[in-house]
Amino acid sequence: MPRLGLGDLIGAGPRAVSRYTGTLLAVFVAQSIIAATCMVGVAFVLAQAFAHLPMFDEAVDGDLVALIYCVRYGKPSLVATGGIVLSAVVLWQLASWFLVGGLGGVLARRPEGRGDTARCFGASGATTYLAYARLALCSLPGWLIVLFVFGTGTSLVAPRISRALTVPELLGPLAVALLPALLLLVLLWTVSDYARAELTLRHDTHDPGVIVTYLRTLAYVIRRPVTLVHSALGWLVFALVTAAYAYLAQGHPMYGAEGAVTLFVARQGVALLRMATRVGILAGQIELGRTRPLPPRRVEVKVDPKT
Amino acid sequence: MPKVDGSPALRGGGPPRSPRIANYKIDARLDPIRHQIAASETLTWTNAGQSEVDTLPFHLYLNGFKNEDSLFLRSSHGAVRGAHMSEASWGYLQIESVRVAGADLTGKLHPPVPPPANAADDQSVVELPLAEPVPPGGTVEVTFQYMAQLPEVFARTGYKGDFHLIGQWFPKIGVRVGPPGAERWECQPFHVNTEFFADFGTYDVTLTVPNTHTVAATGVLTNAVDAGGGMRTLTYHAEDVHDFVWMADPYMDVMSGQAKLDDGTVEVRVYYRPEQRDFARRHLDAAVGSIEKFSAMFVPYPWPIMSVIDPPVDAAAGAGGMEYPTLVTTSGDSVFARPGIRLPEYVTVHEVGHNWFQGLLASNEAEEAWLDEGVNEWADARVMAELYGQRASGIDWMGWQAELGALRRAADGGTGDNPSPIATAAYAFVDNAAYGEATYVATMRALQTLEHTVGSQRFAAAMKTYARTFAFRHPTGRDLFGTLGTALGQDLTWFFGPVFHEVGGLELALRHAECRPKHMSRGVFGDGSARKTVTELEAPDSVTWTCEVIVQNTGPLHVPVDLELRFADGSSQHLRWDDRGLGHWERFTLERSSRLVEVWLDPENKIALDNPTTHHHRLEGDGSAALRAGAWFGSFAQTLMQIVGP
Repeated sequence: MPRLGLGDLIGAGPRAVSRYTGTLLAVFVAQSIIAATCMVGVAFVLAQAFAHLPMFDEAVDGDLVALIYCVRYGKPSLVATGGIVLSAVVLWQLASWFLVGGLGGVLARRPEGRGDTARCFGASGATTYLAYARLALCSLPGWLIVLFVFGTGTSLVAPRISRALTVPELLGPLAVALLPALLLLVLLWTVSDYARAELTLRHDTHDPGVIVTYLRTLAYVIRRPVTLVHSALGWLVFALVTAAYAYLAQGHPMYGAEGAVTLFVARQGVALLRMATRVGILAGQIELGRTRPLPPRRVEVKVDPKT
Repeated sequence: MPKVDGSPALRGGGPPRSPRIANYKIDARLDPIRHQIAASETLTWTNAGQSEVDTLPFHLYLNGFKNEDSLFLRSSHGAVRGAHMSEASWGYLQIESVRVAGADLTGKLHPPVPPPANAADDQSVVELPLAEPVPPGGTVEVTFQYMAQLPEVFARTGYKGDFHLIGQWFPKIGVRVGPPGAERWECQPFHVNTEFFADFGTYDVTLTVPNTHTVAATGVLTNAVDAGGGMRTLTYHAEDVHDFVWMADPYMDVMSGQAKLDDGTVEVRVYYRPEQRDFARRHLDAAVGSIEKFSAMFVPYPWPIMSVIDPPVDAAAGAGGMEYPTLVTTSGDSVFARPGIRLPEYVTVHEVGHNWFQGLLASNEAEEAWLDEGVNEWADARVMAELYGQRASGIDWMGWQAELGALRRAADGGTGDNPSPIATAAYAFVDNAAYGEATYVATMRALQTLEHTVGSQRFAAAMKTYARTFAFRHPTGRDLFGTLGTALGQDLTWFFGPVFHEVGGLELALRHAECRPKHMSRGVFGDGSARKTVTELEAPDSVTWTCEVIVQNTGPLHVPVDLELRFADGSSQHLRWDDRGLGHWERFTLERSSRLVEVWLDPENKIALDNPTTHHHRLEGDGSAALRAGAWFGSFAQTLMQIVGP
């Protein structure tokens, strides 16, 4: 099997997105529905507290003083808002095990036609769901290590940050504080992604164990730095798209209910672009995952006694 | 060798501006390695009262940092404004000898008898019994030899590396207060909430310091000579001040500017480390501007020099943000204080402002801290608005704008939850937070409310009268209230009493607002054969609306309140509710051709004493802003979703 390079991995992204645009959009619609539900829920909670107070309009329009007053006044509503956002994220996390499994299955098996694609998506998502859930548990210690590294780095440079007078004086300590945690984060993210790809690709033939898969993938990712570069590029595009939107949106306040809808729709465009990027990265990971050495076989091979 | 200042200690010279009761001559030598000052001091004190004095009390402020039995460390728990007392560097003031008229009275020094409440083991005050009482009008000369050990900088005095800020460092006599003939000493032990209170006088201070060090001090530099051994001796002279502070640092640069007043100029110097140059420029502009504005608003700055120390960043928490006559320390230098985020400017304006409140109007900061901190806060908000524009006086950055006073009020919250009224002795507050809230922000709120009630120009003129009347004296809260009442030509006890002496704030609220279409009475009318039922058909709704608005104030403070009612046809109606002595609520009933859509209590934000969040109320809810906020939160949630999933 040819050894794939970074270009091959990146190239797999647009191919997959253009071939399975419908699948991508279906996943995106599911996400948008949760986000829209979150939006409506938050709007409802805030309207209960603030619909009669014009000061909240000023706060939303960017009046800092009004914002401080409203935050102080509506603390319970803001706590509820936080709860709604958190619930949406947790819900999506649970759903994503199915959706990523489905996407991975589609990208791995390359079905033709809507019906086959949908069947493949559903079957793969359902088949790997519990394995993905176990993988999430298995990767928890890694995330805790990231938190520890982040906390340690931050506490080490906190005095320097508090005394920084210029932006370079701030960025230096920030880099020292954040870079190790960020690098570790990218490593663990990449390991999780490739472990998922492995679980999807080899589920039917090898039924690999989650812990073994995680550890093998860790070794694999370390041996193949291209996996990390590819993954990091994906996150870079994700961050750039977000930053570009924030930059372009600055100074364009949108008023009224129409403004709210416009705002949400514009942000959906950004979200779609980011999701396409992530699906593209997943496609590259599936491509590379195919070339990995096979895992130990756990599937019982049933032999027909008649044969 | 630094160049001596050619100017007299008072701008334009002239006769003494103050009674000059406590006059000091100090000869001090800094040991920058041990962070010690060896000094001799001669105090010439005049008994300006009408009763004899047989005991002299002295503040030994540095003993506040001597051990954990000090009232200062007990009341602060070793932390002030983010700076923490280092247990490796206690500070203290050790008197080696004290002589009066040639007689050694060192052994006579004793702690106050009886000891102050809650300060039995505190050593920040000592008393010296005199062999001979000082008669009214008489003077006494007291000579001390002492050693001051500086702590690592904490609570605005001490060292950090090579930086030395030397404040509260010499034996300082108390103040005689009270009615003529029945005077008593005011000499409070050093508490975390109490600052200072001292008589005006002259200071002649010689400082022997390493010749590598830049020095800034109260007053003017009158002489500088080489003292040999790598040291130099600098002589400073100050008149009509009530404290003396100095700073020594080998790395400081100086940037200077000129404040132009109606009657001359003031040289403003900012001392800073080279890496803080950009911030020094901002401090200089703020200091120059504030001297000009404060001089115009109150009384002209009387001294020729103002020094602003911008402490090194690692010393800013302990040394920054403190006021002394003609010398203040500032702070706020941070990468986060981008140009337009005016925290550094505000600190400078506030500390410079203290040269009026309490440098010139030398109130008792232990008993009436609000009289300098709070009045100064009120003045700061005005000065910042004049310097940087009303809307942008606090923040003008990346499209965000906020007025300083409004920002302070919003961040502070309301006035109703402080268990102590504003006019509480600084040491008697339940905690430092309550002290800060009442003394600074609540006082500012109160004065802004009164200002808006009586009119800004009239109030400013009255405050100017107060400043001119009590400059170089020791005004009290009573003096301020009396002057304002007289200058404004009205009895303001309805305001000052509850606002300054009672707990609680204003709790304004709209209780009810409703409009109904007006119509002839419906129902059953008449009896017997004349009984008639009038229904909606016979008495239809007219085009006139009957509106009822009920407002309430459940707080103990009562001030006149303006109301603005807005109607669906775009018209509005102004009402005034003066609830002083007339109960806690009012019902307004009116007839209009259009229905009521909004009620706005205090539409011009005159009442700074209440939280205004619910003052503006619309009768029909509008969820569009909530929807926009929801859109933002929804998108934020989606970003998080895309991080955890695809």
